[in-house]
Amino acid sequence: MLNLLNTLQREKRLIIFKRALTLCLTSILSLSVAAFSIAGTGDKSPIKKSQLLYASTKDIRDINPHLYGGEMAAQNMVFEPLVVNSDKGIVPALAERWDISEDGKRYTFYLRKDVRFTDGAPFNSTAVKINIDAVVANLERHAWLELVNQIDHGEVVDQFTYKLVLKNPYYPTLEELALTRPFRFISPRCFVKKGTKDGVTGYSGTGPWVLSEHKNNQYAVFTANKDYWGAKPKIASVKWKVMPDHQTILLALQKGEIDLLFGADGDMIDLDSFRALEKEGKYQTAISPPIASRAILLNAHQPITSDQKVRRAFQYVVDKKAIAEGILNGSEAVADTLLSPNVPYCNVGLTGYGYDPDKANQLLSDAGWQMESDGYRHKSGQLCEVTIYFNSDNSQERTISEYMQSNMKDVGVKLKIVGEEKQAFLDRQKTGAFDLQYSLSWGTPYDPQSYISSWRIAAHGDYQAQLGLTRKAWLDETIGKILIEADRAKRQEMYREILTYIHEESVYIPITYSCTKAVFTPGLKGVTFNPSQYEIAFEKMYFEN
Amino acid sequence: MRIKNYLIQRVIAIIPILIGISFLAFFLISLSPSDPAEVALRVQEITPTPEVVKSMRCELGLDKPLLIRYANWLRASLHGDFGKSYINNRLVINEIGNAIPPTLALVAVTLAIISSVSIVAGILCAVHEGSAGDIIFRGLIFWITAMPSFWVGLLLMWLFSVKFNWFPTSGMEGFTSVILPAVTLSLTYISTYFRLIRNNMIQNKQENYVLYARSLGLKERTITRHILKNSLQSSLTALGMSIPKLIAGTVIVENIFAWPGIGRLCVSAIFNRDYPIIQAYVLLMALLFVVCSLVVDFLSALLDPRLGLEV
Repeated sequence: MLNLLNTLQREKRLIIFKRALTLCLTSILSLSVAAFSIAGTGDKSPIKKSQLLYASTKDIRDINPHLYGGEMAAQNMVFEPLVVNSDKGIVPALAERWDISEDGKRYTFYLRKDVRFTDGAPFNSTAVKINIDAVVANLERHAWLELVNQIDHGEVVDQFTYKLVLKNPYYPTLEELALTRPFRFISPRCFVKKGTKDGVTGYSGTGPWVLSEHKNNQYAVFTANKDYWGAKPKIASVKWKVMPDHQTILLALQKGEIDLLFGADGDMIDLDSFRALEKEGKYQTAISPPIASRAILLNAHQPITSDQKVRRAFQYVVDKKAIAEGILNGSEAVADTLLSPNVPYCNVGLTGYGYDPDKANQLLSDAGWQMESDGYRHKSGQLCEVTIYFNSDNSQERTISEYMQSNMKDVGVKLKIVGEEKQAFLDRQKTGAFDLQYSLSWGTPYDPQSYISSWRIAAHGDYQAQLGLTRKAWLDETIGKILIEADRAKRQEMYREILTYIHEESVYIPITYSCTKAVFTPGLKGVTFNPSQYEIAFEKMYFEN
Repeated sequence: MRIKNYLIQRVIAIIPILIGISFLAFFLISLSPSDPAEVALRVQEITPTPEVVKSMRCELGLDKPLLIRYANWLRASLHGDFGKSYINNRLVINEIGNAIPPTLALVAVTLAIISSVSIVAGILCAVHEGSAGDIIFRGLIFWITAMPSFWVGLLLMWLFSVKFNWFPTSGMEGFTSVILPAVTLSLTYISTYFRLIRNNMIQNKQENYVLYARSLGLKERTITRHILKNSLQSSLTALGMSIPKLIAGTVIVENIFAWPGIGRLCVSAIFNRDYPIIQAYVLLMALLFVVCSLVVDFLSALLDPRLGLEV
């Protein structure tokens, strides 16, 4: 009887177990089927694609073209300048042509007559004047850009002619007017309190794209501007998806949820992943011509690196070729000089230092650093130890630093490696509390004029590292003179002087000339590079049938 | 009357806790070596020249003494004004207000998964205590919980999104988007609640009321229901307390799955040193923990009078 009861109890338990299991499995199955049916209606459509899906780790944020809070690539899609930087130099954009006065202080721009802002407001010389006035009214926010300081005033000559009057014959005027920001044009109807520094009420520009939808930190949709005055985009829209994690971006690319990855210096895709995707053969890849300089800043204002012989020795220690081939997978050319000879004014006949540990050893010995039994050099009881700092977000910088550590060890120099959060890294730049620091030039079209101009600003690591140079005051003064020298030959000569000085003083160890990289799906065509690494030429892209 | 007094006393006790937390949130951040004015400029990619820094310090009120700044901040915070984000100049309260609903949606689905899986698995394993299924399931849960959530998240994404094409990899577009992040988030908690339910049920099985029910000849299903009811009480208390932990613990999952919630907002604020957002986040999370603790204590006391309404 007892056995029978036990058996019955077991059977009941089994029934409960089976029912619970069935319920659980049914729920999971239903959920999966529902998910499958909904997910299946996604982007795998056989019809011709009309929307380009682009992934970025960052949201577009506030794309007010006169401020710096938004993503430059997004600002470039909506807002246009008077003139634009191209492979052929400065070419017309919203200005059809321009004249420069003999003294180099007056620029007269003849505007296009067929342009309207996307909110219907006309683009004319009044719109140009109030936009440029709005930028100048916020002078302190644009202190990095010398042109803003050099503007005396603007004049409306007639409806489609605008004259810009400068205080000095500032030579990079057109280059700086062509930058992605701040000299781009937004509809006057978007102004707040007759200006833009306190924000704008909308984002109506004259560019090939219109920002039609923006979900904060999720995505932004740009649709083609149907009334665009120039060559209209070939695709209907671009969806800018925000994906903070790099691995997620790669998986989304594999799934077909995005069409394009685009970025410089490992900010969107690291070189290992780039090469892996390239080898996989499913995707197309593209690398831009060199656009910026990757270098190590040697602080001439710190005890060990204040000695020019030590800095010179460090030039010979670093095996740049091995870094370019081994770490950067041969995607970047070795840099002999801080700025590539193809950068304007920078072909000044300098010779690189090259990898030569024997010379480095000799220079370090001459500087009084003697090798001791612990395998390191010492001087008056002090160990030859220096520290390199880099942004810990960038794995490439860590690997390069580790390789340099090995190079330095070979000549008896102890190199400490410290990765820091971006803000801490930038704080260190300002205080100058570093021996070596990872450094990137600003890239075209900012090089050389805006980049060297920034050497005079104390918040930059370049300034702090150069403080130990005996001719720092002369250097800053000469940079100031170059920027307002009207005579090209004289400018060239002054550029030669400062670049030679910096090269001989060995304040930078040039490593490679960096490039922008793109990975995209096979159907996507027309992927090219603008001169600025911060812009993406979406308007030239299209899908092949 | 007794309940009213209890509530009043508990709410009064919360006030010094919140003042203490707000004090810490404000002062610890002010100890940071970075100048907030410079940070605010840098995140907007403006070169911090001395003139601009000076102007920004005035704009942010940093030229005033620390205690006055704290008093101003606290007063404004009580009115819901936490200042503006350094990154995009938007009101912090709006930024947080926009980020909370997605996180709540994620947490709701996660709680549903945790509850359903923990209860079903807890019952099955308790009923079949010591069976091969019980041992295997416990081992499996232990193994899954031991895996870091960022890794599990990426594995799930690769398998169910890239390979099977069942779900989108990331983002918040439609109900299917929430499944993978919710599953990833729930895996950490399932083991706790599953084991809690299982162990409570096994303990309850030995109680006299079960023996009494059996001797009365009640159906096994009815007895299991009673055991479950008694076992769930402590689990529900623990689950209630895990709500603020879940809300505050979505950081990694939200970043991997590009979920636009409070966790992602917090990470972005930390990396950019967006102090107004960090301060508001710390204060709101502390408030959430304190309030949840109060609610759970109150409900527990109501459900089980033996616990009593004591402060």
